[in-house]
Amino acid sequence: MNRKLTFACLALVASLALGATAALAGTARGTSDPGVTSSTILLGGTAPLTGLASPYASVSRGADAYFKYVNARGGVNGRTIIYRVVDDGYNPALTVPATRQLVEQDRVFAVFNSLGTSQNLAVRPYLTSMKVPQLFVASGATTWGRDYEQFPYTIGFQPSYQAEGWVYGKYLARTAPGATIAVLFQNDDYGKDLLGGLKRGLQRSKAKVIAAQPYDPTSPEVSSQIAKLKASGADTLVIFATPTFAVQAYTFAHKLGWKPRRVINNAVASASTTMARAAADGQNPLVNSTISIAYLKDPTVAEWQSDPAMKLYRTIMARYAPDANADDPLHVYGMAVAWTAVDALRKSGKDLTRAALQKVLDRFTAVGNPFMLPGIIVKTSGKDHFPVEQVLLQRWQNGAWKSFGGLWGYRAS
Amino acid sequence: MSRTTLRTLLVFVAFAVVVMVLPAFVNDFRAQQFSYVGIYLIALIGLDILTGYTGQISLGHGAFMAIGGYTTAILMIDHGVKDIATIPIAILVAGVAGVLFGFPAARLSGLYLALATFGIAVATPELIKRFEGFTGGGSGVNLFGTPELTASLTPVRLAGVELNFNNWLYYLAWTLALAGYVIAWLILRGRTGRAFRAVRDSETAAVSSGVSLTRMKVIAFGISAAYAGAAGAMFAIATTYVNPDTFPVALSIFLLVGVVVGGLGSLKGLVVGAVFIQFMPLWTQSISKKPGAPAVVYGVILILVVLALPGGASGLVSRVTQLVRRGQDFPKP
Amino acid sequence: MTVFFQQVVSGLAAGGVYGALALALVLIHRATGVINFAQGEMATFSTYILWTLTANHGVSYWPAFAVTMLVSFVGGIGIHQAVIRPVERGSQIRVVIVTIGLLLLLNGLMTFIWTGEIRAVDSPFPGGTLDVHGVVISYRDIGTIAVCLGAVVVLWAFFQFTKVGLALRAAAVNPAEARLVGIRVTWMLGLGWGLAAVLGATAGVLTAPSVFLDPNMMQTVLIYAFAAAVLGGIDSPIGAVVGGLILGVGLNLLGAYVDFVSELRLPAALLVILVVLLLRPAGLFGTPQVKKV
Repeated sequence: MNRKLTFACLALVASLALGATAALAGTARGTSDPGVTSSTILLGGTAPLTGLASPYASVSRGADAYFKYVNARGGVNGRTIIYRVVDDGYNPALTVPATRQLVEQDRVFAVFNSLGTSQNLAVRPYLTSMKVPQLFVASGATTWGRDYEQFPYTIGFQPSYQAEGWVYGKYLARTAPGATIAVLFQNDDYGKDLLGGLKRGLQRSKAKVIAAQPYDPTSPEVSSQIAKLKASGADTLVIFATPTFAVQAYTFAHKLGWKPRRVINNAVASASTTMARAAADGQNPLVNSTISIAYLKDPTVAEWQSDPAMKLYRTIMARYAPDANADDPLHVYGMAVAWTAVDALRKSGKDLTRAALQKVLDRFTAVGNPFMLPGIIVKTSGKDHFPVEQVLLQRWQNGAWKSFGGLWGYRAS
Repeated sequence: MSRTTLRTLLVFVAFAVVVMVLPAFVNDFRAQQFSYVGIYLIALIGLDILTGYTGQISLGHGAFMAIGGYTTAILMIDHGVKDIATIPIAILVAGVAGVLFGFPAARLSGLYLALATFGIAVATPELIKRFEGFTGGGSGVNLFGTPELTASLTPVRLAGVELNFNNWLYYLAWTLALAGYVIAWLILRGRTGRAFRAVRDSETAAVSSGVSLTRMKVIAFGISAAYAGAAGAMFAIATTYVNPDTFPVALSIFLLVGVVVGGLGSLKGLVVGAVFIQFMPLWTQSISKKPGAPAVVYGVILILVVLALPGGASGLVSRVTQLVRRGQDFPKP
Repeated sequence: MTVFFQQVVSGLAAGGVYGALALALVLIHRATGVINFAQGEMATFSTYILWTLTANHGVSYWPAFAVTMLVSFVGGIGIHQAVIRPVERGSQIRVVIVTIGLLLLLNGLMTFIWTGEIRAVDSPFPGGTLDVHGVVISYRDIGTIAVCLGAVVVLWAFFQFTKVGLALRAAAVNPAEARLVGIRVTWMLGLGWGLAAVLGATAGVLTAPSVFLDPNMMQTVLIYAFAAAVLGGIDSPIGAVVGGLILGVGLNLLGAYVDFVSELRLPAALLVILVVLLLRPAGLFGTPQVKKV
């Protein structure tokens, strides 16, 4: 009696399992290049929708809003863009299966704007071997452009961190020849790239980095590092940090009574919202006159309030991402990349294939991206696969960024 | 062979058959997800031996997985060792680490041990980053496409069957998992297993019976770390990439979650625990992508599971089978 | 020399926060024998309540502070009754998992309600600093340290001199016998959680003005708080705060004078946990446990 029951249960379990898994079986395969049908283009990407890096989810939200806007106006060469974002919690171990899912199960046309350096590093060889475009990686690591020959399907977008650091270095060399520089930097490739660029920009100038303090992203706060930097007696503070720590840097420097002659804050941490936070209603004078770079239009900057592109930005956000905070400049970043992607896809023609896209990206020029600062061109050619290499310098004055001077162009070498 | 043993054997064989046949019924990508279930199962078996059977809490088993994973990665990239060949070495290295940790850990108990192992879990990513020259630091080590990684670029032929990467991973992971399950079962039903349980149930009684607490704890740590090392090695092979962030604190925590959900002190529910760890995060995201919502759902479900099912999944199964049996034995009024 | 003292001062301020959170951990452990992994998130949640009252509802600081403490107190009791009570007498591992579930739940809830954006929180203390021979000490730092020491004193007095405090201690040490004497043990344990929640809220409110508020504000602080609690003695309130202060200063000095420690603060703190647990599990101020055979 018992044995029969046991076997019956086993049979039931087995058939349930088989039935369930059969139900889980995947979708049918497509024809021609994956991700492209006569009416749709499927793009996929990974982003930290949850976890410590979740503020960066705004990037994909902005891009998604822009794609919806483009779709509403006829799409790209008659095709609507479907943009699928998968959460990887900023953990590369999750990026890999998620990306494989996008490529092998969802069969995307291209992996678009996945966020994070190590996250994209984790999947780069895989995507290259599968010949899937790793399009406009959301990371400023230099490797995307530098290692183009080895990984031809991968292309970055934003000015690399090294380029950014180099601009600061050149700026200081030019305007503050004898400066003594103290740097707070995040102890990973991001911070180190910025620092490396800074030092390169300072080469052959009398301005020197006399103190550099790393901090780990897992530190609760950076008061000790700031104290050490202050003790070096430097007259220039450079902050290469993520927003939370950049704000802390200002706060602790102020608390300690340190008054460096000039402060530089990197682009990732210099959003108006962050700067306003650090300024603490005018109580922190260090924030005034901070220098940073910009290549995108900041939605909270007065200069762009009546700009038609920024008005369009707000309209798109209100319509397609109504719950999001439109003041968050990461949305603009997402839209700028999405605009560029749409441009590239359009230029690839009605007969859309990965090969066609790759050809376009090989020698790509996109002028007039409405979300980028005027004059900045997205361009690749020959050996230069860094799409954006121009920036403007800006100075924080009386609660707002004001750009000054002309475009700085960086030649990646 | 006793009836219970026979029954267990039959269930196990049925399960193994289902596992081996599964890839024919699901697509590649699902197979890949199920390979991760197998990988987590290996780690959960090890952790259950330590925590469920020997009563030593570990919130740091992700660290042993990291040791296994990095051993595999470094051997493959720097020394050209084939992926499968790295697995025994990873097991050994992690096992030794477990034994070494076991000695001081044997002096701690309960929450102190939990804190100490938690500390190890938190420190591990930092230490990996620190020893950059050896581990590749934050940029990590990418294994994809290297000749040492089987089937990543071209399918492999095994016993006349061609396997692509996903299916190869699946069979490798589950072969290890099933083998590990059998080994654990054998260990736990023998003298060592009884000694483990004695340590868990009452250290005083154990000592009185002549069981050496330290020795048993060290052995338990060593074995469980070895399992975690195997899981870590498989994890590296499956993910094809290791860096400090691939073995975060969350991993250690989720392993313990998996053991509790599966059922502490019992092997049969661990598959459920492994399925929980792998699929619950994905499932909660399918409910809502709004930032924060998946975590809320996960937390609520976790709390409910622990509150409602003291014995985890295997406890539930036991209760159900008991009810069924009771229904059989007593004639209905 | 000023460098040294400066690091000491900022170390004391940071350590005060670790100590305050450690105090909450110790309280819960003494009361219910549980390590509450969600303590940090509870503290952050309380800080969000303060923030939303002052920033979104225009409530002025001190009334908002009072409301926050009250809500935290009630919340702490509520959490204990709802999810901890069913499991606290069982296996410790299950309780740990419940607190971990709570951690995930609260963190997700904060992100859901208030998003991950960084928020600025007012400080109860005036801005401004004192300059003592080149060492800059801010009023906020002094305030933080004072509050933490004050909290220990108040707590100690509460336990020593009040009936409720005595009842709490009794309930923690021997629930069965405490019941015989008429103590409502369940309420006492809940009370312990409520007080701990208030302490955690205090830690959060003290640190947020400097480090700024976001859902993950207390996550690493929690680890340092564990280290502080272990160092000081997991059952000793005084030990928790002293442990926190020593840890804060020690890490700062190490970071300032030993180069490679700068990036290795966290492992250094954890090494402390490990070493203390191995050499003297009871910590500096705890009473060594004797196992009766």
